[in-house]
Amino acid sequence: MVSNVIQFIFKNKIFKIENPDPNKTILNYVRDDLKKTGTKEGCAEGGCGACTIVLGEIKNNKLIYKPINSCISFLPTLNGKHLILVEDLIEENNKLHPVQEAMVKFHGSQCGFCTPGFTMSLFSMYKSNTSITNDVIDEALSGNLCRCTGYRPIIDAAKSLNKKKYQDKFKKNQNKTIGLLKKIKNTEVEINKNGKKYFAPKTIINLKKILKKYPDAKILSGGTDLSLEVTKFRKELKTIISLNSIEKLNFIKKSKSSIEIGATTSLFDFQNFIKNYYVDFHDVLKRYGSLQIRHVGTIAGNIATASPIGDTLPLLLTLDAKVVVQGVNQKKIFSINEFFISYRRTKLRKGEFIYSIKIPFNKGNIFKAYKISKRFDDDISSVCGSFSFLIKKNKITKAVIAYGGMSEIPKRASAIEKKLINSDFSENTFSKALYLIDRDFSPIDDMRASRNYRLTVAKNLLLKAFYEINNKKIIRVNS
Amino acid sequence: MNNEEIIKNQSIPHDSATKHVSGLADYTDDISEPFNTLYGAIGWSKKAHAKIKKIDLRDVKTSEGVISVVTFNDIPGRNDVGPVFDGDPIFPKSKVEYFGQPLFAVAATSNELARKAVLKAKVVYQDLKPIVTIEEALKKNNLLFDPRIIKKGDPQNKINKSKNKLKGSFNTGSQEHFYLEGQVCLVVPKEDNNLLVYSSTQHPSETQQIIAKMLKQKSNSITVMVRRIGGGFGGKETNFMTSAICALLSHKTKQPIKLRLDRDDDIIITGKRHDFYSEYEVGFNDNGKINGLKLKLASKCGMSPDLSYAINERALLHIDNAYYLSDLEVKNYLCKTNTSSSTAFRGFGGNQGMMAIENILDNVARYLKKDPSGIRKINFYGQNKRNITHYGMKINDNVIQEIFQSLLNKSNYKKRYEKIKKFNLKNKFKKKGIALTPVKFGISFTTIHLNQAGALVHIYTDGSVHLNHGGIEMGQGTHTKIAQLVANSFGLPFEKVQISSTNTSKVPNTSASAASSTTDLNGAATLNAADKIKSNLNNFIKKKYNIFSKIEPVYKNENIYFGNRSFEFKEIIQEAYLNRISLSSSGFYSTPKINFDKQKFKGRPFYYFCYGAAVTEVTIDTLTGENIVDRVDIVHDAGNAINPALELGQIEGGFVQGQGWLTIEEIVWDNSGKLKTFSPSTYKIPAISDTPKKFNVEIFKKGSNVENVVNKQKTTGEPPLMLAMSVFFAIKDAIASVSNYEKIPELDAPATPEKILMSVNKLKNTI
Repeated sequence: MVSNVIQFIFKNKIFKIENPDPNKTILNYVRDDLKKTGTKEGCAEGGCGACTIVLGEIKNNKLIYKPINSCISFLPTLNGKHLILVEDLIEENNKLHPVQEAMVKFHGSQCGFCTPGFTMSLFSMYKSNTSITNDVIDEALSGNLCRCTGYRPIIDAAKSLNKKKYQDKFKKNQNKTIGLLKKIKNTEVEINKNGKKYFAPKTIINLKKILKKYPDAKILSGGTDLSLEVTKFRKELKTIISLNSIEKLNFIKKSKSSIEIGATTSLFDFQNFIKNYYVDFHDVLKRYGSLQIRHVGTIAGNIATASPIGDTLPLLLTLDAKVVVQGVNQKKIFSINEFFISYRRTKLRKGEFIYSIKIPFNKGNIFKAYKISKRFDDDISSVCGSFSFLIKKNKITKAVIAYGGMSEIPKRASAIEKKLINSDFSENTFSKALYLIDRDFSPIDDMRASRNYRLTVAKNLLLKAFYEINNKKIIRVNS
Repeated sequence: MNNEEIIKNQSIPHDSATKHVSGLADYTDDISEPFNTLYGAIGWSKKAHAKIKKIDLRDVKTSEGVISVVTFNDIPGRNDVGPVFDGDPIFPKSKVEYFGQPLFAVAATSNELARKAVLKAKVVYQDLKPIVTIEEALKKNNLLFDPRIIKKGDPQNKINKSKNKLKGSFNTGSQEHFYLEGQVCLVVPKEDNNLLVYSSTQHPSETQQIIAKMLKQKSNSITVMVRRIGGGFGGKETNFMTSAICALLSHKTKQPIKLRLDRDDDIIITGKRHDFYSEYEVGFNDNGKINGLKLKLASKCGMSPDLSYAINERALLHIDNAYYLSDLEVKNYLCKTNTSSSTAFRGFGGNQGMMAIENILDNVARYLKKDPSGIRKINFYGQNKRNITHYGMKINDNVIQEIFQSLLNKSNYKKRYEKIKKFNLKNKFKKKGIALTPVKFGISFTTIHLNQAGALVHIYTDGSVHLNHGGIEMGQGTHTKIAQLVANSFGLPFEKVQISSTNTSKVPNTSASAASSTTDLNGAATLNAADKIKSNLNNFIKKKYNIFSKIEPVYKNENIYFGNRSFEFKEIIQEAYLNRISLSSSGFYSTPKINFDKQKFKGRPFYYFCYGAAVTEVTIDTLTGENIVDRVDIVHDAGNAINPALELGQIEGGFVQGQGWLTIEEIVWDNSGKLKTFSPSTYKIPAISDTPKKFNVEIFKKGSNVENVVNKQKTTGEPPLMLAMSVFFAIKDAIASVSNYEKIPELDAPATPEKILMSVNKLKNTI
């Protein structure tokens, strides 16, 4: 069934919006139309967390909660979700929710402007974890900025929620909520509002049909980058096709030789999966944007936007991932190493979409990846270095090295690779090879780092990889 | 503990805390808008320095939803928002002086349409060469004022005679306020051309005056209201552009206008912290005691004076930090640059002055190959000798030695200092560093007349208390603390006292909530009002109940006690009302004892000093420059704190904000004067994982105030920011280890991973 009505659960009821503006953000809807002003706009780019809301949805018959940045999420993406705002947390008897109580008790608010966002991130953390460790806290709150407190009281408030047993109203109402969510699940959305179109097909067949008709449409797979066209550059997105309702694109499959990740798999799900195979990939992903971003953003989106500093890209280059592209008629498989053409341009053509990514297991290879940025969390890297080596009898038989932030596209360091291959695995080899960095890259000066720093760090990361492998020890200040 | 102590000492939560966490605390953008509200947006200059040849606004005017456009032609009165000096035109007529300077504004039917419309302006510029850096401005002598020279003793002679001498230069960087709530204003027109202005400002009275002057109206026709603001940090002290333009749009359209700057516009249009550059020449003896010091201190003021004179003055007044400088000369240059006008920011120049002297002491210690904490200690101001500042003020509340000693013990500094040296010998790539730095910060506006405040207190017939004062609630908890003081004064529970919006029609002619003085000044004014009402009540009771004893009545537990006789507060209020006794009063306070001759740079500009010290340990990665703050120990003097939990919040929050200033927060302007760091994606304030891994903060247990400040408290507004100097010098200490402490690292602030790595490499190359 195709409908121009989006439906979501709000305050235990089904809410319907007929033909919403596809360029309107959830934040603007909440503040301007629902007149709920607890949710704040801090930056309109998903960089501060003041607009954090929580969405509930069903996964494996259970309710799960995700914090998202409402300032960069388009209204139609609310379809089929349970919307929870900061005003909704208070319990029926007017008692504060445990997360709110903790924030008050530990003096977690000063000016209070970031507080609704923190409260929602804490709420989501509380609903998703029973054991609240320091790691859980850092991850849950790294996308929320506070300029007043210095975070210590918020951290203490979060810690106090560890193993807290309390049946909140969301728990009590969960069966009802699940029932309501199931009721509104099966719609395929098609909106046409003043010439602005939005499609959220549920099947690949329908997606292909729509793509054929609208080859110039913007594909939304998370949309954490796409939405900035509207919120920052004040453009109008005429036609948006969302992939998020296609369940067939949301998967992670493991075979003997590789992992395959469906296009709409969230970075968060991917991060948790990849941990078991490539720890450094997980560690870099954990510093990719914020939890709010990773719950929405996808690896396919990251590849399609082809940013020179897209943090997963050098890692995928090193691991020689494959990009499975679905055309109107057939699937094509590209090595990611041939996928990027120039600045933000890829081999993806109009009417095509990324179906999945395959990451091979490269047995015996040693994989290392490092992200260098001014701030550890939620920052864009100045340099991201990724390394994979196969060493046999102290000989380097394979060296695959890629960097982000060093060129207009994420790129392999082929001169260095060539120099390393078939050499001894020794400090001497690496010290000699690293001077070839100038041959591989000519980075630019910008607000994140100077050319000189980028070159120096790129060399040093190569050395770091050597020392870490050689000394069998992790040499990092944040580990 | 008696009731008085309980109320006074209770660390009760911020009075808006439950509203904060429930989304029910209203900020300016959350106020219900009148039905016909329009939305504003500002069109700004894309050039840093240029003549305006033509502004074509035809496409703007015809853009969807646009109702009105304003330019300088629409301003009936003063076209300037400069608070002290002119120089900040609302819309310049012929020349733009920074990238981001407002040129015109629109009112439209929605925020989005207004913001889209301003992009359609066609402006023809004739480029002029911009001056972007301090270096260029100094070279071209592009200064806002003549250089200011302060001198004490004969520093050149002392330096010449010293056994040891050092010369060098040092930079500290700018900083964006990044208050989470951006600049926002809602103006509602009322009858007789009156305007009701809701603004996110730290300074409602000046907002009122600036709008009145702009519209050529009397101040009594403008009312400014502020319930709370979402952080200020100085960034909302004089940035009157938003409220002025909003009022102008309302004046022209006769409709309510809301103008909320989008984050990028906010960062691009409004001013930031001053960069400072210093050159020094110092002479010292073998123990590291400073004999003579000559400094050149230059700051980047941006395109206009704004508060730069006062900010530079505070830098000059804090060039000593906690140290006695017998012979000193400072030449101060206020550089005019084609950048947004640098403005107030927590520390207000004091922090930049203090960083200059801390860097010198650090270098002196490294030159002598001694523990820098020891060099700092021997240069401290004395109790009875060496206790007159370079501006002639005798320090009579010095507790720095005590705090220093207490912190040394508490943090186990000496042992860790040795342990770190051993760690560094064993580790090739990871290096640790530690530093202990003191803070002495002067409290009072150095412009003496600003040290005044007013308040208004009412008691209603049900015994509840309502109060207003001139201070702005910006997160620091001033409303909570002042309500606590008043509850205590009347012997009432905290819940019986309510503070509502700061309002220029209730308390007039207020000073900005700034200079850390908000609670000191407004608290005292409020208590003055309370005392007047109490005096009415006391006289009434005495007369009515024939009490002749001279015992001071005691207000506590909701009763008034005259010796053994007691009167229930609520009942006596009702009775007083029926007997026609005034239950309302204004209050006033002006800080005593202070004076300052700006010409001679002499006097007592500060009522008292705040003291504190911090020890920080860091680890750096010498391959990448990445670093973490492992542990911080702080002892900070909050006097006799009104609300220790809120003070703790200021200390920790100030520290982390200072840490950001000195480490990751980097403002970048390109050569053409364009700001490159204007959003959270390009400008990084500390996030949760940047909080020190161990963070031990202690409020100085013996804290009090020798002066008669409310509750004998000491403010914690600005001073804790400077505790973060220890982070910078710990990083420098870690870098020094690369040369086995033989060489002095070259490191400017902010110590980004890039600067750290470059400093490490430079040091390696000189070994």
